[in-house]
Amino acid sequence: MNTSRNAAGQRSGRAFTRRRFLKSTFKAGGWLLAPQIVRGSVLGLNGAVPPSERIVLGGIGLGGRGTYDLSCFLGETDVQFVAVCDVKAERREAIKKKADEKYGNQACAMYRDLRDLLARDDIDAVLIATGPNWHATASILAAEAGKDVYCEKPCTKNIAQSVALRDAFRRTGRVFQAGTQRRSLPNFMFAVELARRGKLGQLQTLYAHPAGLATSMSGWAPAEPAPPREEVDWDLYLGPAAWRPFNKKLLDGFNFEKGGGLTGGGCLEWGSHCVDLCQWANDADQTAPIEYEPQGDELHARYANGVKLVMRDHGWIGLGSCPVRFEGSAGWVETGDDGDLAASAPALLSGKSAKVSGYPANFHVRDFLDCVKSRARTRANAEAACQSHITCHAANIALFLKRKVSYDPVTNSFLGDEQANRLRSEALREPWRL
Amino acid sequence: MKFPIRCASLIAWPFSFLVIVIALAAAGCAGPSASSQQQQERALIQALRSDAPPDQKAITCKKLAIYGTDAAVPALAPLLADERFASWARTALEAIPGPASDKALRTAAGKLHGKLLAGVVNSIGVRRDAAAVSLLARLLNDSDPAVASAAAVSLGKIGGPKAARALRSALGNAPESVRPAVAEGCVRCAENFLADAKNADAILLYDAVRQAAVPEPKILEGIRGAILARGSAGVPLLLEQLNSNDRSRFNIGLRVARELPGSAATEAVAGAYRAAAPDRQPLLLLALADRGDAAATAVVTEAAANGGKQTRRAAIAILDNAGDSSALPVLLKDASDQDPDISQPSLAALVRLPGSDVDAQLSDRLGDSSGRMRQTLMTIAARRGIEKALPLIVQSVGDAEAETRDAAVQALTTLGGSNEVAALAQALEKSDNPAERAHVQKGLVTLSGRIGTNGVPSLLPLLRSAEPENRKGALRALAAAGGNDALAAVAAATKDKDPSCQDEAVRALSTWPNAWPEDEAVMEPLLRTAKTDTNSSHVILALRGYLEFLLGNEKLKSEDKLARVREVIPLLQRPQEKLTAIAVLQAIPSPAALELLEAFASEPAVADDACAALVQAATQNAPSISPDLRRIALQLAVQISTNEEIKRKAGEALKHLQ
Repeated sequence: MNTSRNAAGQRSGRAFTRRRFLKSTFKAGGWLLAPQIVRGSVLGLNGAVPPSERIVLGGIGLGGRGTYDLSCFLGETDVQFVAVCDVKAERREAIKKKADEKYGNQACAMYRDLRDLLARDDIDAVLIATGPNWHATASILAAEAGKDVYCEKPCTKNIAQSVALRDAFRRTGRVFQAGTQRRSLPNFMFAVELARRGKLGQLQTLYAHPAGLATSMSGWAPAEPAPPREEVDWDLYLGPAAWRPFNKKLLDGFNFEKGGGLTGGGCLEWGSHCVDLCQWANDADQTAPIEYEPQGDELHARYANGVKLVMRDHGWIGLGSCPVRFEGSAGWVETGDDGDLAASAPALLSGKSAKVSGYPANFHVRDFLDCVKSRARTRANAEAACQSHITCHAANIALFLKRKVSYDPVTNSFLGDEQANRLRSEALREPWRL
Repeated sequence: MKFPIRCASLIAWPFSFLVIVIALAAAGCAGPSASSQQQQERALIQALRSDAPPDQKAITCKKLAIYGTDAAVPALAPLLADERFASWARTALEAIPGPASDKALRTAAGKLHGKLLAGVVNSIGVRRDAAAVSLLARLLNDSDPAVASAAAVSLGKIGGPKAARALRSALGNAPESVRPAVAEGCVRCAENFLADAKNADAILLYDAVRQAAVPEPKILEGIRGAILARGSAGVPLLLEQLNSNDRSRFNIGLRVARELPGSAATEAVAGAYRAAAPDRQPLLLLALADRGDAAATAVVTEAAANGGKQTRRAAIAILDNAGDSSALPVLLKDASDQDPDISQPSLAALVRLPGSDVDAQLSDRLGDSSGRMRQTLMTIAARRGIEKALPLIVQSVGDAEAETRDAAVQALTTLGGSNEVAALAQALEKSDNPAERAHVQKGLVTLSGRIGTNGVPSLLPLLRSAEPENRKGALRALAAAGGNDALAAVAAATKDKDPSCQDEAVRALSTWPNAWPEDEAVMEPLLRTAKTDTNSSHVILALRGYLEFLLGNEKLKSEDKLARVREVIPLLQRPQEKLTAIAVLQAIPSPAALELLEAFASEPAVADDACAALVQAATQNAPSISPDLRRIALQLAVQISTNEEIKRKAGEALKHLQ
C-alpha cells in the first residue's frame, strides 16, 4: 500500500493530457531542418574498422576534460589510442590504465615530454587538453610534426598566437579542430543556420554570454620545494610561460596562464564558445569585429558588415549555460546548453531536430575524425578558431584598457593604438616558439 | 603614449600582475604628462636594476612591455642572461618599438648560448629584424641543435633572398636533428616570397624542401607549397599526389585540391575522381565539391545518380549542404530508391533544399506523379510546408493504392488545416477498408489535436454517419480538438443509439483534458452520467473522470472541490474511485475534508490510504484545522492503520503536537 504513490500517479496521468501534447507539436511550415550532424557515414565509416584503417591517436595533457574527450574518441570504432603524454605521472598512469582497459592490453605508451610523443611516425592525430598555456604551442608543434590536432579551448593566449595557429595549420596542411563542440550540436547549429540563411532577416545583433567579463588568471606564487621531475616536470609544465618558482597551487593547468597572464576571464573562457557561435552565425569565420567598446557591464563590438556583437551576462531567457541570441530584422532565436530553442515565431523552429542537452563532444569528435579521413575543413577549423579567439582577445584588450579600440582584421593590428598593439603578443619562454 | 606608474607594492599571488597592470591602465586613461611618463618609466627601470624580489622584477617587465620605450632597453638587456627573467625581458623587448630593442637582442645573441640564446634568436624572428640575417645564418651552424633550429625558423620569418640562400644551403648540410627546422624556415621564407608575389623564389624553396632528406611532414609541406605557388602549372604535381598509392601523398593532394584555384584544377580533380578506385571516389568527390566551383556540380549530380553506394551517399551529402533547385531531379530519384541508405538522406536533403522555386517545382511534379514518387513528393511537401500541394494531397486520400492513401493521410496530418479535416472525414466515410479507416482515423485525431477547435465544424457531420465506427472516430477527433462545441457534441453522443458509440463518448468525457478554462464544462456531463446512467461501466468511468478532473484542476477553490466530492461520495462503490476521492480530499486544508477522510478510514478496503491521507492532512500548514482536530485525526490513524510506517508517522506527529 502506498497512498502517496497512488495519488501522485493519478495526478501525473491527468496533468499531461492528450490534447496538450498534440498542441505542443509545431506545424511544419518551413523547409529548414537542422544540419546533418554526422557526415562521416558517407565515407563508409560505420561498423568495425580493421586496425590498418584506424586513426592512430595520441593524447597530450589529459586531465578531467581531456579524459572526457578521450572517452568520446574511444567510442569511435576507427580510433586506436596508443600513447599519452603528461608532465604529471599520476595522470599519465591514469590514462594508460583507461586505454589499456579499453583494448585489453598494455600497449599504451607514456611520455613526459610531448616532443617524444610527436616524434612517433605511427601517430596520425593528437588530442591536446593541457591547460590553455600550452594549447597553441603544442598544437603548432604537432602540426609541424605532421599530426592532425583536436585541441581544447581556449586555443590561444593572445592575438599573435591565434594568427600563428591559423598559419601553421594552413602551411602544414594539417587538420585542426578546436574543442568548441557546440559547433556540432543541433540546437546551436540550427540557430546559426537560421541566421546564416536569412530566416531572421537582415542580421542585426548577436549576443554572447561570457559568464564574467572580469579578468582572472594565475600569477606568481611563493616558491615551494619542487617534486621530482618524474612526478611533476615543472619546467615542462611552465613550457612557453614565463618562468616562476614551483608552487603546487599553480598546477591547476586549466586556470594557469590563460590569456598569457594578462587577460582571460569569461571573455576568453566562455567566449571561445559563445563568441565563436556568433562569429559563425555572422558568417565571419574569416574575419573579426572592427570595434570593441566596454559599455557598463557589457562589451559591445561591431563588424564591418554593421552587425553588432554584445557580450553580456544578463538578459537571457534561461536556456542553460553558454547561451547565444541572434537578432535580425525579421526575428530572433536564442538557445543554450539545455538544448532548447526559443524564437520570435514558432514557424522559425519548424523542422528542428531532436533535442540534445548536456553539450556532449562526441559529434564534434566525429566531425574531426571524418575530416582526418577526408582532409576537409572541420567545423571549428584553425581559421575559424583564430578569428573567434582574436575577437575574445581584442575584447579583453578593450576591457583592460577600459576604452574603445579599433581593429583591422586584415593586418591583425589595432588602428593607431600602440598600447593595444603591444598587448597582442608575449614572448615564449626559451626554447619554445610559435 | 601615456603610462602613469604608481608605487604600488606587488601582491604576491594569485592575481598580482593583473591587479597592478589594470590599475596602471586605468590610471593611464587619466592622461599624465610626458615628463610624468618619463619619470615613472625611470622608476620602473630603477626597479629592474634594484634587488627587488623576482616577482616584482617580472611584473616590471610586463609593464614595460606595454608602456616602455628605448630608455628601458639597457635595463632589460642584462636580464636576457638570467634564466628566471629572460622571457619576461624578451616580452618587453619584443614589444618596444625601435632599433634599440633589435640591437640589444643582436648583442645578446653574440654573448649567450644554449636555451637562452635560442630564446633571443626566437625574439629576433618575432621582430623580423632584417639586420640579423647574417648573424642568424652563422647560428645555423651552432653546435646546439636548439639554437641552430631557432635560427632557421627565425630566418624563415624574416625572409628575403639572403635568408633564403642560407636556408637552402643548410637544407643539404645541416645535421639531421636541425633539418626539420631548416625545412620549416624554408617554407616560412617561401611564404614571405609568395606574399610579395615572388612566386619563382618561393618555388625554388618549396622544391628544395620536397626533394630534401627531411621528414615526410616537411616534404608534404614542400609539395603543398610547390603546387600552390605554381598556380595552374601546379596541376600535374597535384595529380601526381592524387594518383599516388601513398596515403600521405594522396591526403596532401586532397588538401591542396581544395586550395588550388582555377578551372584547370577543377577539371583535374574531376578527372582524378573519375579514374579513382571506388574507395577513393567519395573522398575526391568531397574535395571537388569543397572547391565551390560551379563546374563541379555536374560531376556531383552524376555521382548522385550513378555512383557506387558510398559515392552516391557522398554526393547526396554534398547536395544536402550546397545544392539548389538543380539538384531536385536527382534527389527525387534517390529519395525513391529502395535502399534506405540512399532514400533517407535524399529525402532529408530535399526537405532542406533552398531556393524559392523548389516548392513550385515540387508541387508541379506532384500533379503528374503516381505510386512511390507521389508518396515521396507528398512527404516532402508536408515537411517543407507547401500548402499549395494540399489539394493534390487531399485528392490522393482516395488513391487506388493503399500506400499512396496512407502517405496522403500522413502528409495531411502534418500540413493540413480545417479544410483537410473535412477531407479526412469524407475519406473516412467513403472507406470500407478497416486498416485504411484506422489510419485515417489516426490522422484525423492527430490533425484535430493540432489545429484545435478550427476543425470541429468539419467533424460534426461525421457524427451523423450511419457507420458507428465513423462516429467513434469523430468522437476521438472531437476530444482531441476540444472546445465547447466539441464537448457538447461528445456529451450528446452519450445518448447515441449505438452502445459502442455511447461507450466511446463516455470514455472521451472521462479523459477530457483540463488544460483550458472551457474544459471545466466537462464536469457537468460527467456528473450527470454518474448520477443517471444505467450502465455501470459508464458510471464508473464518469466517476473516475470526474474525480480525476477535480484532482488535476488547480484552479477550483477548495470549498468547491470539497462540495463536489461530498456530492459524489454516495455514488462511490469501488475502492479505486474512493482512493481518488481520498487523494482529492487529502489536498484540501479544511476540517470538513478531515471529517470525510475519517469516514473513509472506517472502511477496511481503503482504511490505510485514508489513514495516510489523514496524517498528511493533519500535518499540513492549515490554520483552519485546530490542534484538537489534528490530534483526533492522528489518533485515529494510529488506531486504525495496519501499516507500521503510517502509525509511526502519526505517532511522531502526535508527539510534536504535544
